[in-house]
Amino acid sequence: MFSRGFWVIVKREVKRFMFLYKQTLLPSVISSGLYIIVFGAAMGSRIGEIKGVEYIHFIIPGLVMMSVINPAYQNSSSSIMQAKFLRFIEDILITPLSGLEISLSYIIGGTVRGVVNGALVLLLGYFLTGLQIDNWFLTFVYLFAVAWAFAGAGVIVGIYAKSWDSIMVITNFFFMPLIFLGGVFYSIEMLPDFWRNFSMINPLYWMINGLRYATLGIAETSHEFSLGISILFAIFFSSLASFMFSKGYRIKT
Amino acid sequence: MKPALEVKNLRKVYEGGLEALKGINLTIPQGSFYGLLGPNGAGKTTTIGIITGLVNITGGSASVLGFDSVSEFRQARKLIGLSPQELNFDVFFSIGELLELQAGYYGLSNKAAKERTTVMLEQFGLTEKRNSRARELSGGMKRRVQIAKALVHDPQIVILDEPTAGVDIELRHMLWNYLRQINKEGKTILLTTHYIEEAEQLCETVSIINDGNIIVTDSPEKLTQAHGMSGLEITLTSEVADLKLDPWLYHLIDGKIHVNIDHPEKEMAKVINQISEQGGGIENVRIYRSSLEDVFLKLTGKSLHEEDEKFETQEALLNV
Repeated sequence: MFSRGFWVIVKREVKRFMFLYKQTLLPSVISSGLYIIVFGAAMGSRIGEIKGVEYIHFIIPGLVMMSVINPAYQNSSSSIMQAKFLRFIEDILITPLSGLEISLSYIIGGTVRGVVNGALVLLLGYFLTGLQIDNWFLTFVYLFAVAWAFAGAGVIVGIYAKSWDSIMVITNFFFMPLIFLGGVFYSIEMLPDFWRNFSMINPLYWMINGLRYATLGIAETSHEFSLGISILFAIFFSSLASFMFSKGYRIKT
Repeated sequence: MKPALEVKNLRKVYEGGLEALKGINLTIPQGSFYGLLGPNGAGKTTTIGIITGLVNITGGSASVLGFDSVSEFRQARKLIGLSPQELNFDVFFSIGELLELQAGYYGLSNKAAKERTTVMLEQFGLTEKRNSRARELSGGMKRRVQIAKALVHDPQIVILDEPTAGVDIELRHMLWNYLRQINKEGKTILLTTHYIEEAEQLCETVSIINDGNIIVTDSPEKLTQAHGMSGLEITLTSEVADLKLDPWLYHLIDGKIHVNIDHPEKEMAKVINQISEQGGGIENVRIYRSSLEDVFLKLTGKSLHEEDEKFETQEALLNV
């Protein structure tokens, strides 16, 4: 379906983040490890169980999602921004690759990074807390779909952004609040009505809830709806990213 | 035979209303060495950008060996190698990796990409720099990498935007020889340059573009013949009263006779005879000829070299 050039860009994207592993892989593992130790081990014993699972296990799916969303987004947005900023994006634009192929190759690069980060945090959860995965296949599907969605969002922002600030604004003012309000560290049933209702319109809540179902076998709401939301966002963001690349929006003059 | 590059009524209007191209036409035959000359902002880079897919088209069409640059972009772009004016490199990879990636983008297999990379590195004297990053290289070496990148997938058509800008004379001549060689081997070359000498030395045909229009297209020789001036500058040992040089017109400038003649080599003897017959003694005779630079200045009213403005052309001298 896709040309060889398409896979070469994917390879380039993966090599790039592997080359920068100190910036791209280690930070999420370290921060997740700290979250597990501080929130899970230190506070977990006081909180006890939520929905029949230990608190330390309850928070791991949310931490995994944090480790998927930000790196997937950062990978594609910063890679495109850097290529735009240093103008070596022209090396790719002049090739026989379509806008769809170019955007999808960046999305796959970001997706791989997101999935690798998520898998590393799951592995960390296993070593630190003895976490056992309930459904490996569904876990992978969630990691993949959410990473794909946010890698797609990264391509859109990477194309749109005129400065590095724009990329960080999205992370700091949108993703982080939505992640923390998405029930990473608590069940939304613990929240007052207003915040519970707010969480219900937060797509990240559904994504975290879906992964919690896949990894722990517990869900506060419909897991099928969570899967639908994750896939819908993946399709929407990647379609918009491909459309923007095909039109050359802010890339071609 | 289909032209290597064909541009028909090509228009480009940028956001904000700047009309960079006003319906230009260009036909570049296969195997030719073609120059596109113009001052800054004339439309050269926009034309190249449309052909290579970096700039969206407003109107008209551009085709590469018959393939439309928009609707058949895959076939069209495979045939082209572009060396942009600005030296921009992917910062994460070594020179060898950069070339292999670039070859891969064009669909070459791993093996073929490695082989072509080795050939290019050898050709441009970069073999020892295979594992270096671009930022570690000198300006001249970066330019070599840039051109190697344009050629690594072995395209039939090579577009070079100011390929020798900022390189030393030795490298410039090395590049000229290499470009002549690949042109002889059948590659079509489209060159934009600020160095008129480069166009005169290399290009069979030159188009001069100004303000979004192609003003003239011809060989450098014919352009200088048609739009330039040539003649003889004669220094006399003694002045001749009422000198007549039939059928030529002449001007007396700083005590020297300037005779405008289309073919000064052929007519020199006749001119000298007429002066001698009228009692004139000749100290020195010099043939002068307008350069492509003079033609360019005459046609566009602008110099290609802002820094060279002080250079007085032969024509300017004659107009004193």
